[in-house]
Amino acid sequence: MGRNELILKDVTKRFGGLTAVDALNLKVTEGQIYGIIGPNGAGKTTVFNCITGIYESEEGSVNWRGEEIRGMTPYQIVDRGIVRTFQTIRLFSQMSVAENIMSGRHIKSKQKLWNGIFHTPSSRRDELENWKKVEEQLDFFKLSEFAAVPTGSLPYGIQRRVEMARAMAVEPTLLILDEPAAGLNDKETLELLETIFKIRDRGVTVLLIEHDMDMVMEVTDYLTVINFGKQIAEGTPEEIQKNPAVIEAYLGSEDDDDE
Amino acid sequence: MREMQKYAYPIFLAVMAVLPHLLNSRWQAVAITFLIFTVVALSQDIILGKSGMFNMGQALFFGMGAYTTAILNHQLGWSIVATIPLAILIPAIFGVVLAGPIVHLRGDYLLVVTIGFNIVFVQVLQNNLGGVTGGPNGIFGLDSLSLFGINLASQVAVYYFAFLVLLATLWVMRNLEKSKPGRALHYLREDQLAAESIGINTRIYKIFAFGLGAGIAGLAGTVYATQYAAVSPEAFEFIQSVLFFSIVLVGGSSIPGILLGVFVMFVLPEIFREFATWRFFIFGFAMIAAMILRPRGIWPATFGKIPKFLIKGGSHGA
Repeated sequence: MGRNELILKDVTKRFGGLTAVDALNLKVTEGQIYGIIGPNGAGKTTVFNCITGIYESEEGSVNWRGEEIRGMTPYQIVDRGIVRTFQTIRLFSQMSVAENIMSGRHIKSKQKLWNGIFHTPSSRRDELENWKKVEEQLDFFKLSEFAAVPTGSLPYGIQRRVEMARAMAVEPTLLILDEPAAGLNDKETLELLETIFKIRDRGVTVLLIEHDMDMVMEVTDYLTVINFGKQIAEGTPEEIQKNPAVIEAYLGSEDDDDE
Repeated sequence: MREMQKYAYPIFLAVMAVLPHLLNSRWQAVAITFLIFTVVALSQDIILGKSGMFNMGQALFFGMGAYTTAILNHQLGWSIVATIPLAILIPAIFGVVLAGPIVHLRGDYLLVVTIGFNIVFVQVLQNNLGGVTGGPNGIFGLDSLSLFGINLASQVAVYYFAFLVLLATLWVMRNLEKSKPGRALHYLREDQLAAESIGINTRIYKIFAFGLGAGIAGLAGTVYATQYAAVSPEAFEFIQSVLFFSIVLVGGSSIPGILLGVFVMFVLPEIFREFATWRFFIFGFAMIAAMILRPRGIWPATFGKIPKFLIKGGSHGA
């Protein structure tokens, strides 16, 4: 097992004639908060789907800790410590907050299939231990008061927190956040920033997509900018802010203005 | 609600425990049917209600259990009780084998395939496969229930056999609720992509649901064969599967909902004989009304069964 590094090499994903991701390279190293930014439709979420096994890229390699994970199923990739959240929140909406977070414990729980039919002392112990872990996440994300509430009836900002808590319950090595600040107000965004730093301080590497430029510049250590599925720049936030290609992608070139 | 259920279940079970002594023999038979079909509907609930898979072939597994008991008893002379393990295992294995290649199908596609399985099963029975199923007439003259050499031929004994099977089923369902596999079924029903993205191998759990549901239905089949001392193909036709399907859909994926559904579908037609021919008509309208007014069933599944220590103060706790 290598270091906790995620290396994408020449990853290409096509949908019919459209190349959503075009020979993308990136390298996320341990302990980083890594950002992927780009205009709408640039292929950011597709990159995440290729990493987490929802799509399989046609070409290239996705390497995690020295192991090729391209072509693995989503649950196999979760088993290797990569967990994601979704841009459009995907919680189990009829179920309570605690049950949602408990789903993150699924892969760590040692219960076997037949424990669904009858319990044993060890399965009961396992059950309790995992609920205790859920309690930790409820405390960490300040969700204790909502433990028994169905997630579908909660405000958007809290649903985002539940989704992150669910992902953290897996105890991931790499946490992938798809637009975590979308739909949050300023106060909630500030809290989110703090949470992301706290998650990183726990030794979790974070890879995120974000639209909110102020937030991205503040939170990330390293950035990749993509447009039309291609990488157009990479570097630290300071470097990216000065990069003319990025400015062009976001604001349009001066030539366009002249026309 | 939870307070009510705390008392409702013991009262219900107590009533069911003394019920046969209050009824004459005709109503005892109806009560046995109620118990058996409740068990089958609960097994259907594991597949349809908890896991959200549109299985329209539950009568197949029910019939397979009944025929396993009948064949082992009639052809090989096993006692009824001795056939129970195989009457559970054979349908369960078939459930796993049949579900394996089809569980990835979505919604109505799965439904059509399971209807097909059910029809093939009835055809096989009617054509007297291997000369053991007795063809269209089925198998007659099974032994009555006996345990340790004590003959338990009375109807009351069959009732308590059925009641015991229901208790065992309720116990399994309760264990399922409080286990990792049980929750996995809920997660995959609610959002399959999210379930996979959090690390759940949905395929395994779907097949597990089929296997478990088939095994329980098979056990109910044993009781059914015991009650009538006979089995015949028409009891396990596709239309029976439709009934079990609609009970779970209209009643809702909960024990009270299923009891209500079985009562309306199998007990009311006995009380009002003229109602028997109307029941599909009425249930059809009930289904339409339920889909519009209560899409999750009359008595929907309740969630939030979380350990007490997680609920801390706050006005939001349920």
